Amino acid sequence: MLFLFKYRFIQITREFSVMFWALTFPLILATLFYFSFGRAGLSATGESEWSVVNVCVIENKASEFPSFLKALDGDTLNILSASSEDDALHMLDEGEISGIYYVKETPSLTVGKNGLNESILTSLLDTYNQNAAMLTDIAKTHPENLPAAIESISNYRQIVKEETLGGDTLDSTVQYFFALIAYACLSGAFLGVRASFDSQANLTALGARRSVTPTHKLTLILIDMLVLVVIHFVNIMILTIYIGKVLGINLGHNYIALLLVNFMGSMIGVTMGLAFGSLSKLSLNAKMGLSVLITLIPGFFAGLMFVNMKNIVEQHAPIINRINPAAVLSDAYYCMGVYNDAERFTRCILTLAVMSILFLAAAFFGVRRERYDSI
Amino acid sequence: MIHIENLVKRYGSLIALDHLNLDIEEGEIFGLLGPNGSGKTTAIGCLLALLKYDKGQITVFGKEMHPDSYNIKKNIGVVMQNIAVFEQMSVWENIDYFCGLYIKDKAKRKELVEEAIRFTNLEDYRKIRPKKLSGGLLRRLNIACGIVHKPKLIILDEPTVAVDPQSRNKILEGILELNKQGSTIIYTSHYMEEVEQICSRIAIIDHGRVLATGTKEELKNMIKTGETITIEAIAADDALLAGLHALPHVFDITYEEQVLKIRLSSARHNLVRILNFLTERDVSFGRVFSELPTLNDVFLEITGKELRD
Repeated sequence: MLFLFKYRFIQITREFSVMFWALTFPLILATLFYFSFGRAGLSATGESEWSVVNVCVIENKASEFPSFLKALDGDTLNILSASSEDDALHMLDEGEISGIYYVKETPSLTVGKNGLNESILTSLLDTYNQNAAMLTDIAKTHPENLPAAIESISNYRQIVKEETLGGDTLDSTVQYFFALIAYACLSGAFLGVRASFDSQANLTALGARRSVTPTHKLTLILIDMLVLVVIHFVNIMILTIYIGKVLGINLGHNYIALLLVNFMGSMIGVTMGLAFGSLSKLSLNAKMGLSVLITLIPGFFAGLMFVNMKNIVEQHAPIINRINPAAVLSDAYYCMGVYNDAERFTRCILTLAVMSILFLAAAFFGVRRERYDSI
Repeated sequence: MIHIENLVKRYGSLIALDHLNLDIEEGEIFGLLGPNGSGKTTAIGCLLALLKYDKGQITVFGKEMHPDSYNIKKNIGVVMQNIAVFEQMSVWENIDYFCGLYIKDKAKRKELVEEAIRFTNLEDYRKIRPKKLSGGLLRRLNIACGIVHKPKLIILDEPTVAVDPQSRNKILEGILELNKQGSTIIYTSHYMEEVEQICSRIAIIDHGRVLATGTKEELKNMIKTGETITIEAIAADDALLAGLHALPHVFDITYEEQVLKIRLSSARHNLVRILNFLTERDVSFGRVFSELPTLNDVFLEITGKELRD
């Protein structure tokens, strides 16, 4: 079998057009991304300044909460003034602020959407509420120590950096590079679809010749898959190293996890291509068109082109995010690089593994005992 | 060795194979002769379990053929009409790869690859990729990939299409050699000369039906034509043509662009009789030649059309 592996490897790596789209094109895209983002791109290296969160405060009742917030003003927060609650809500709608704090007996918060800034505001409120009793007590018994007490719980920037994001990066720019790697993984579908033609007698003369040999169809498909996964994995690693080491984008420091996601990403792309390529009823051109769709559509719903799309899908049809390979793959990258959520990461990897096996089985059953209407 | 019974294959409303029956014996070079679209390649596709068919039965080496009949497939070599080699691999690599799909033993494989290269005269092109080969060399590589594992049964589907005469002769000589080495050959072609030259038995096929089967002599004996006399540069009027038609053994005359073709049943002195008739009437003419019946005559008489129509 090593012999078949060797020749298939030689054949595919010598196919210039395949290697261009699988390797060179993502490298070019990564370079373009880097230069397009300009300073934002550089910020992904960790040199960025902490950006403050714009917020309005509506005071309805005397409380220690405004003092707590003022201690954070200019550092973590940027408190903007609003003439009225309606004015503040208008600013929220316009996206000028990320939230409105209401100073009441129990302070509350209104946010316009989900996101990092909104999470920071929520955490601040939670921190205050958890410590409100202590601050009230200090105000009553040792009012001279109140500023120091507020200061002690308001060093929020440090808390956010160390606790909220267990991963390595906060910068949204890195999302685009994760998206690019995820897209490059999915583009393994082109390799899979292309390789499947060589197993189908109705599409190519090579398919006919290979179909009349005594080598089992499952062997041929497994060899194809192994060769393609190895080639695609190396391509993805070259892309990852280029982004991380040459462009200097911080993709995290959990290299084993990164290797694992890249491998599963290569696997899911290739097997998806093999499965769709084995749909015998479609013509060669239809399958090539389909390979574009099976790369772009899942990628679109997974937010690889429009970052918020994944959240929208999550709100309206979460099942799609569970079964969309692109969504699961991007989730794995985020778990690794941003959330540092081992359980969710493991779930993503297992999901990708199961999907790959199902796709491979579909590819095999697609061509196993196939007789064609015409050749 | 091969038994095909009542094979029916439809492409929508078109009947590609119409109750086709064939029996091919071990050791034969069996020719499937028919015009383009007659059903030759479709029959091969069904035989190899690549194509679905609507009705009929196919057995190869006494067993029913299925897509996963790997034990049968290991004894079959196929040379497709279209070139089926990897562009990215050299001549040697291609032959070695396809041999490896049949033969696992490395040493044996190497021996067989070298033999196939010698057999197809590709010694000087081992490291060349297919893109740089001429049409004839490419056909020879295609053949080498199909026969390298020395199968018991070799199916060659129009292997000489678009090949120069020199390469064609080498291919035909090679096929005869393969047969001598013990392989049974199925050879499809629409070139009657090739089929006549190498095949021990022939089936004439048209519209998916076998019209006649037999050795070339048996096929020629089936028809009325014993001789065709062609006379060039002759000015013939209706009276002359009628006179010729009335001569003994003449049964068909065609006259086009001053070329007269007279078909006669087998008899002695046909040519002398025709020439005397023309000389007596002082008719001038150019070249005259006589031909024994060909497979084209067989096809013409059975179907009413030329093989290449």
